[in-house]
Amino acid sequence: MVRILFIVFLCLLVPGLASMGYSLWQGPAAWSVDTGVFWGLPISLFVFWIGLAHAGTLISAIFLVLDVKMERRTSILAELATLCALVVAVIFPLMHLGVIQNFYMVAPYMESRGSMANVCSPLVWDFCCILAYGLLSVVYLVVHVLADKSAVAASIHRPLAWLLFPMVLWVHTIVSLDFAATFVPAWRGAFFPIYFIVGAVFSGLAMVNIMLCAEGYRMRQLEKLMLVGSWFLGAFLLWDFALKGNLSVTVLVFAVLLPQLMFVSAVRESTLGRVLVSSSIIVGLLLERVFLVFPSGVVGFGWVDLGLICFGFGLFGVIFLVARLKLSRVIEGEEVLMGEVEETVPKRPATGRFSYFAPLTTPEFRMLRFPLLLGIIACTLFLVWVVGCLEENGIAFSDANLVPLTCPIITTVAGIVLCLRPLVMHIGKVGGVVMVALAALLGVLAGMVYGGVTSVPSGAVVSSTGDMLDVGTLPDSTSTLDSVAIIRTKAVFEARCAGCHGADGRLNEKFVREYYPVPQNLDISRMDALGEDSLVNVILNGRTNMNPYAGRISPQMARGLVRYMRLLAETPAADNAARNEGGDE
Amino acid sequence: MDRREFIKWCSLLAVGSMLGGCRKLPFMGDAAKKDLPSLKMFEAEVRRAMSKPSHRMELVRVPMPGRLKTLGASLENRFGMAIDLDACDGCGKCILACIQENNIPLVTEDEAAKGRFMHWIEMRGGVPFMCAHCGNAPCERACPTGAANHTPDGLSAMMYKRCTGSRYCGANCPEHARKFNFNDAVQQGLSLKFNDKVPVRSKGVMEKCSLCLHRLQDDRLEVKTAGGVWRGRGVNTACAEACPKKAIVFGNWLDPDSPLVKVARRRDLYAPADLAGLDPSIVYMMGGK
Repeated sequence: MVRILFIVFLCLLVPGLASMGYSLWQGPAAWSVDTGVFWGLPISLFVFWIGLAHAGTLISAIFLVLDVKMERRTSILAELATLCALVVAVIFPLMHLGVIQNFYMVAPYMESRGSMANVCSPLVWDFCCILAYGLLSVVYLVVHVLADKSAVAASIHRPLAWLLFPMVLWVHTIVSLDFAATFVPAWRGAFFPIYFIVGAVFSGLAMVNIMLCAEGYRMRQLEKLMLVGSWFLGAFLLWDFALKGNLSVTVLVFAVLLPQLMFVSAVRESTLGRVLVSSSIIVGLLLERVFLVFPSGVVGFGWVDLGLICFGFGLFGVIFLVARLKLSRVIEGEEVLMGEVEETVPKRPATGRFSYFAPLTTPEFRMLRFPLLLGIIACTLFLVWVVGCLEENGIAFSDANLVPLTCPIITTVAGIVLCLRPLVMHIGKVGGVVMVALAALLGVLAGMVYGGVTSVPSGAVVSSTGDMLDVGTLPDSTSTLDSVAIIRTKAVFEARCAGCHGADGRLNEKFVREYYPVPQNLDISRMDALGEDSLVNVILNGRTNMNPYAGRISPQMARGLVRYMRLLAETPAADNAARNEGGDE
Repeated sequence: MDRREFIKWCSLLAVGSMLGGCRKLPFMGDAAKKDLPSLKMFEAEVRRAMSKPSHRMELVRVPMPGRLKTLGASLENRFGMAIDLDACDGCGKCILACIQENNIPLVTEDEAAKGRFMHWIEMRGGVPFMCAHCGNAPCERACPTGAANHTPDGLSAMMYKRCTGSRYCGANCPEHARKFNFNDAVQQGLSLKFNDKVPVRSKGVMEKCSLCLHRLQDDRLEVKTAGGVWRGRGVNTACAEACPKKAIVFGNWLDPDSPLVKVARRRDLYAPADLAGLDPSIVYMMGGK
């Protein structure tokens, strides 16, 4: 059974890889893109897969905190599916980008040049939320797996679930805001967050039900919940229809009407019937996402698009199966892996003691309050810093734009702090030292990116001698330096050249690092090697990355600039720096 | 394989690789480049784009653009244009002039069939339309990296090197003024560098009307080098220069001596209905002489 499934998924993955490779090479022209909104299938697939990913968290974390009892093999399976779906989900927004290697610019972290990601953009919120969600999901699965053996891990299991509970709702709300916060008429609607969450949970339940069928058992609660999900989705589809007048009949049939077959006992009681109903829900919701991302109609749906869909399913199946086999030891009942066994009814342990806790005194809260406090402090510091950056750069924003960033930051910090104590106990002293060292290294790297390399800012005044500023004649063809070094040349250099080359001729690194290939260093040996005439030629006609300035600068002035550059190169850097300290008056 | 054979192949391989090393052009890149397009091809593409059926925009009355309400906006400058629809006959000369000024590339046959031209100006029902440089631009609010930004002088500018190509700005422009570089225009021989002062955009970034930013920057640097207040007088955009009917007027909305303000003061101003609330800098003039 496992082997057959594995081959099926490989058969999906391999052609999918071909279309993925073609898409990466060709860029966004490869797949079909909506003519109006420039978005295409990768976004549909992202929303679809991130939705599937939410089911695991729902079943495991939310049911745990709500005291819904469930077998461990079901919840670990669902968490595993969450992680695998998340891996698939993050691939699609990355490949969607036109310039993939620039993806890090979406992180709300100021780079050395002083550019800040626009924290008012839903895509930035999205980036942070998914990063935090992925991190916490990994931590949660690890804790859950370890909870069997280690009492410490078991003790933080429920507090972690409490952290994930709001997070999962938050993440999908933000995903819906990617659409709802735009000007596209088909994407507007205040009900989008709930609509998206319902869709996500619904599709995730269908996926888990398929998995349970493959594992050879069933959970009636989840089937009932799936049915309820279909009613909710139906209500939202009608709402959307009433609001905008567009209704996709295929989605309605696949995701709302066909699931009602669960009322027929012949369908409900056969594994094939359950698989088919769940699959129809998956298909319906995939179609729903596709129709959503293409408001002006799907045209030119080609082999690449089909390949991308196959890629998603194939990759998910392969990594899920591999992980499932690796974890079969920790998942209960390993002997029943992927085979038909008689139906097991979920154990319903006696609910036992009902203990009442006054508000804010539960054991989970006692464990969580310190990490949460740290998280809130970290979040506040971050927001203060961001507001400062925004105001410094004159970027308009409203305070509401910053709210979406709070939950991922607080949850991440709180989750990490919560896990630190068990982690240190687990890995011992040496491991602790290594971890602290790694964290310090990371901090240094982050600081370097933020601070950049020291350089003289382009606005700084450079003057080598006092009398230089007095001479006011234009450079002439005689080669004496004294008559060349003049205020006019300096002004031109600072207006035209200092932006990249730096006011001291030693690169304006803060600017150059990020945007351009590094310009030539204007040192004395290079000047001598090239000679004045050829340098004038470079200024006027340009070179590899140097823009031509003929027509904007006279040849005479270019010659003056060359001599000014020489003058700068002859002045030691230390002198320049020292002079800049007091040179501003 | 005997010794003789082995030495033969080794030496052939060495000679071959040395010959390869002597090549003047790299294997890929320049060698793979196609022939440069001719101006005729650009003209043909403009005709093709203009023959594409399009609906006339719904225009509504707007007040004269004033000072920007954003943080750090200039008190002296807000550049913009007014297009006289009573004079404009939709000849399309502005489109070609814009192409030549800003090195706008051609598109492939596939893209053209889908109607995805790169032209910064396009005819919407005989009315030239370009990015309106909204004072309250939704595209800039959506841009995740800050590549789409607003200059203090009222231009909606693009930092191409900062753009990561998420195309979110394109989705968020109500009039779809933005164009996406689906192709590597230089590699595919679709681009002709008419103007050295404007970089050719790389594959995967968004672009749109820059209001001839390079001309403004040039003038600004000149004035600032000499010292003085810069009001952008004497600068004109390529489309305004090319218009045979002088229907496009460029100027500074905050400068009472600007030709733009002088003309627009006596006319009724209009903007596309879905941009009217966004404080556009580029407006249309009709009637009211």
